Amino acid sequence: MNDTIQASNLSKSFGDKQVLQGMSFGVAPGDVVGVLGKNGAGKTTLLELMLGFTAPTNGAMRVFGHDSYSLPGDIKARVGFVPQQDELLDQLTVADQLRVISSFYPHWDSALISRLCGEWGVNLKARIKSMSVGERQKLSILLAFGHQPDLLILDEPVASLDPIARRQFLEQLLTISADGERAIVFSSHIVSDIERLANRIWILKDGKLDWQGDLDSLKESIVRIHVRGSGAELPALKIPGALSLQREGAFATAVVRDWSPAAQDALEKSASAQIEVEALGLEEIFVELHR
Amino acid sequence: MKAVARLVWSYFTGTRWHLAFTLIGATMMVFTFFVMLTQPQPRSGERFWIAILGIMFFFVGSSLMPVMFGRLARGHSAGILPGGRVKLLLSMFATILLVAFPVGVLWPVGVTLSTGTALELMKDPRAREFILQTAALLFSSAVLIASWIYLALWFLTSQRNMAGLFKALLVIAVVIFAPAQDIQDFTVSLKWTLLQIAITWSVFAACFLLWPRFKAARARRGRERFSGFASALAGRTAGREFDVLLGTANPWLLVLALVLPFVIATRFTGEFAAVWLYFLAINSAIVGAYAGQAAERSRALWLRGDWSRAALFACVERSVWRHNGTVLGALLVLTVAVGAYLHFSPTTMIAGLLLLVLGTNVSTNLGLMMTRGLKWPEIVAGIAVMLILMASAELVAREHVNLVAVGALEVALLALAIVLRTVARRRWTNLDWAMCRPDRALTARGAS
Repeated sequence: MNDTIQASNLSKSFGDKQVLQGMSFGVAPGDVVGVLGKNGAGKTTLLELMLGFTAPTNGAMRVFGHDSYSLPGDIKARVGFVPQQDELLDQLTVADQLRVISSFYPHWDSALISRLCGEWGVNLKARIKSMSVGERQKLSILLAFGHQPDLLILDEPVASLDPIARRQFLEQLLTISADGERAIVFSSHIVSDIERLANRIWILKDGKLDWQGDLDSLKESIVRIHVRGSGAELPALKIPGALSLQREGAFATAVVRDWSPAAQDALEKSASAQIEVEALGLEEIFVELHR
Repeated sequence: MKAVARLVWSYFTGTRWHLAFTLIGATMMVFTFFVMLTQPQPRSGERFWIAILGIMFFFVGSSLMPVMFGRLARGHSAGILPGGRVKLLLSMFATILLVAFPVGVLWPVGVTLSTGTALELMKDPRAREFILQTAALLFSSAVLIASWIYLALWFLTSQRNMAGLFKALLVIAVVIFAPAQDIQDFTVSLKWTLLQIAITWSVFAACFLLWPRFKAARARRGRERFSGFASALAGRTAGREFDVLLGTANPWLLVLALVLPFVIATRFTGEFAAVWLYFLAINSAIVGAYAGQAAERSRALWLRGDWSRAALFACVERSVWRHNGTVLGALLVLTVAVGAYLHFSPTTMIAGLLLLVLGTNVSTNLGLMMTRGLKWPEIVAGIAVMLILMASAELVAREHVNLVAVGALEVALLALAIVLRTVARRRWTNLDWAMCRPDRALTARGAS
């Protein structure tokens, strides 16, 4: 019950289109959740449900124990959000924008923001309409950091950042998550970032949470196996959970989900074959799951 | 030419609704044309109205043009595509010619209503010359007015900010007042209209085609020097932080955007009370429409305060009224000034002022009601508001004001305002930011 976010049987549809269905999950303090999914998988909708921007069609979403659709002010002050498209005020300067947003929060870490502005090269005097997309994104991130939220939700935050800024941003996220008291949920198409930062992975597919768990479990669960038969030809193989299978003579290669030592023993006996297991990177896993 | 034709085709048929409007409009015009050309006409001319309705449908059918044109022109497409800017410009001109063409055809057919069929009339050289000259004049006038209207629409849809609103209002002021001046001075002539078209299009084409070079030059010389005044003006957003995020912190920009075209218009217009009241009433509606962005912008506020959706609506409504009330005040002062200059009767003055208050009120509530983009209920309510405002302005401007009719219309506005506010309040209690803006709604539907 101490979960930062708790969702049960969550569904969301827009008209006839079912975007999310039957999702249940929890996010605890210290979790850094990387949300992966193809375009249209429902990532943004999921994040917007967490923030109370939209209501679930069915099920419940609770943030810090409160219904996300009607979050009280003290709970909102514990949430930070970086949207996919910034919501900055073009006519203001960076300093003005920071002043405006900081005024909404009882606590604002001006020292942190000043330091980050310096490190990230954000010019406080610059007028927002004259800033590049990447600079605007940096500012959006700063605005979400300033009140030191307990829950940080980021919707593809690094899409427009250059490699250096991306690295700085990831380092900052690592710093934030280091104390183990805050939770971070972020979606991204840059799998290497998720692999580097996240300790939990959610993979969305067709509106469902196709996989959720920690990264190591995912890598142990979804593997590539190389099967070598004892004869000239492999017998007909029935591999439970096979996502793909390629055969050639006495050899076969398959990507398998829900892999375990027990499953390996069973397959070795039934096929009279030797099996080698190869671990996959997150990107390969993601691709295989979407074949 | 293929690209231009494709663009024009897309403007008229880009969505199912545009295709439907275009087809219905074209069918009505062709039907009327055929009937008038072949059948003896009744004197009442009711069939002529079918064609006018057809023209309006056809015009609405083409309304995708300023949106598409604006998006392509302001994005990278116009610069990357071969001949992009020239083809875009040609597509715009071709669309305007197409929209204006029926007007030029309609008139010569219309004049045959009382005299016989068009084919018989065209046998008389003097009648033929008169009809052709009049047709040319009407056609060119239609091209000119359509050009201005599309330009205003382009500014409104492509620049969703104060600068765009100001430019659009400036154009609307010209559209309203220039023809009035021409009619008053009897200066409408084919030569003058063609000259106006040539000047308008030359200036627009030059600005449009040379804009990238100008932008590059400006970047080289340092934009601060050029945009100093604009920045200084835009920078004065002092006010409550809530208002700043909602975009209601500085009403004086909107006041300026409304007053400047008004002042310029005084150079054109004569003493037409109805024209002035039209203009003021339309402006009161525009003031209110400013609230239409509130729902979308309030998303940034949701996470930053201790309010429920209902409480947020109350805060937003107060903020919007602080803004719109100031602008309405400026409009009322203008009305009093115009009334004093044109010697409005006390009845006209009071009814006119009340009309502006009600116009702002009803359109503010209409704007607040727009929590799910622009859909049919909003469009129907918007058209109803504009029609009532225009009818009221016309009645109020008459020498002998029909108090019963004016009162009935103003009561209708008040009732509409109350209904719209109730709807707005109800919608805000279930506000869904995923559906606030049409493009956001599409994104949400795509569930990216």
